[in-house]
Amino acid sequence: MLRLIKAESFKLSKKLKSWLGPLLIMVLVLIAFPLSIDISQYDLDKFYFSIIVVSLLMTAFVATEGMFEEDFEDGSLEQEFLIEKDFYKVVFSKILVYVAFIGIPIAFIGALFSFANGVAIVSFAKILLLLSLSNLLLFNLFAFGNALSINKGAMLGVLTALPLALPVIILLGRAIRSIQFDEGFTAIIALMTGIGLIISAIMPIIISAVLKTHID
Amino acid sequence: MKLFSAKNITYSINENKLFHNLSFSVNASECLHIKGGNGSGKSTLLRIILGMTSPSKGLVESCNQDLDISYLGHKNAIKNYLTPRENLDLIFNNIELKNAFEWVQKFGLSHVQDELTANLSFGQQKKLALIRVLAKSSELIVLDEPFVGLDHAAADQLNNFLNTKLLQGVGLILTSHINPMIDCKVLELGRNNAEIN
Repeated sequence: MLRLIKAESFKLSKKLKSWLGPLLIMVLVLIAFPLSIDISQYDLDKFYFSIIVVSLLMTAFVATEGMFEEDFEDGSLEQEFLIEKDFYKVVFSKILVYVAFIGIPIAFIGALFSFANGVAIVSFAKILLLLSLSNLLLFNLFAFGNALSINKGAMLGVLTALPLALPVIILLGRAIRSIQFDEGFTAIIALMTGIGLIISAIMPIIISAVLKTHID
Repeated sequence: MKLFSAKNITYSINENKLFHNLSFSVNASECLHIKGGNGSGKSTLLRIILGMTSPSKGLVESCNQDLDISYLGHKNAIKNYLTPRENLDLIFNNIELKNAFEWVQKFGLSHVQDELTANLSFGQQKKLALIRVLAKSSELIVLDEPFVGLDHAAADQLNNFLNTKLLQGVGLILTSHINPMIDCKVLELGRNNAEIN
């Protein structure tokens, strides 16, 4: 497992476009949005979260696009199958590395921008945790979509993963309201942590089966 | 010692049988050369042996669940955005790495080991991919068209290497349109039938 995590980290660190691209998109959207409206007319802190949520959804999708495609195309997946006999560890470590390299930095950017737009600094840690957990869920779901669409076009992946992502967005909205009104945050974050752990354990099994059908 | 045996393997695509009731085995120190025209199912048969593709009928039984296999298929499994050195670092552990770099020298890739793999010629990329198999100690080596893209010197080196491995007790299965300079039993795939010589 450690070998796979090291290998995935190294590969991702060498693919500048793959990890820097989503971070830049997040920054660009979060900068462009307040500039595109007359911010003096609005209490930006009231609805700035909405744009963070949408950006999060978009960047999570962009970040996971092509997650397995390269390894499938160049034959690396076949080699891993011979070593590991299935893809569970490969998928698990890939998602873990993507969340660590892209998901958490995106969450940090989101938390930073919410603070810069009037959200209290005391909420920074809560928002960072919330967005990180959301990314863990979204990356798992979009990885599933990506695995489905390896050689069938990206649209199938989008159509499959987006409906699954909607409950995450609803949950994220609830959690944000709990931060804004300072009530029930612990319960929601516990729920999201639980779902995150379950999905992180189960989704690699499903994705592993999908990848096996692709190489068959 | 028997490494694996295939029993009554049949593979069909859309009702068309690519091969039918194929039975064979490979022992340690034994080479199996799978021959046949384009589309006769050579690569598919290799993938069935490796467990990557499920046969329509039949069974492949390995003598050992943890049989250590080195495989090189049509895809090179190397990363174009990394250098050959980085690619080898990804594949091998520290002990095997020394062996891998000896093969880099033998194949004359030393001067390009820090260039991007994408900039290497097809033959150089093929040599780099072959090092995955050559530098690893395994019980069974499976190669799909290993001589494609290799110059004469590299092909000779590969033949010598495979002969040495056979003497060391490693099993070998390969597909090739060129007859390798190795003592092999031949499995000839044809339309709906196969013959072992």
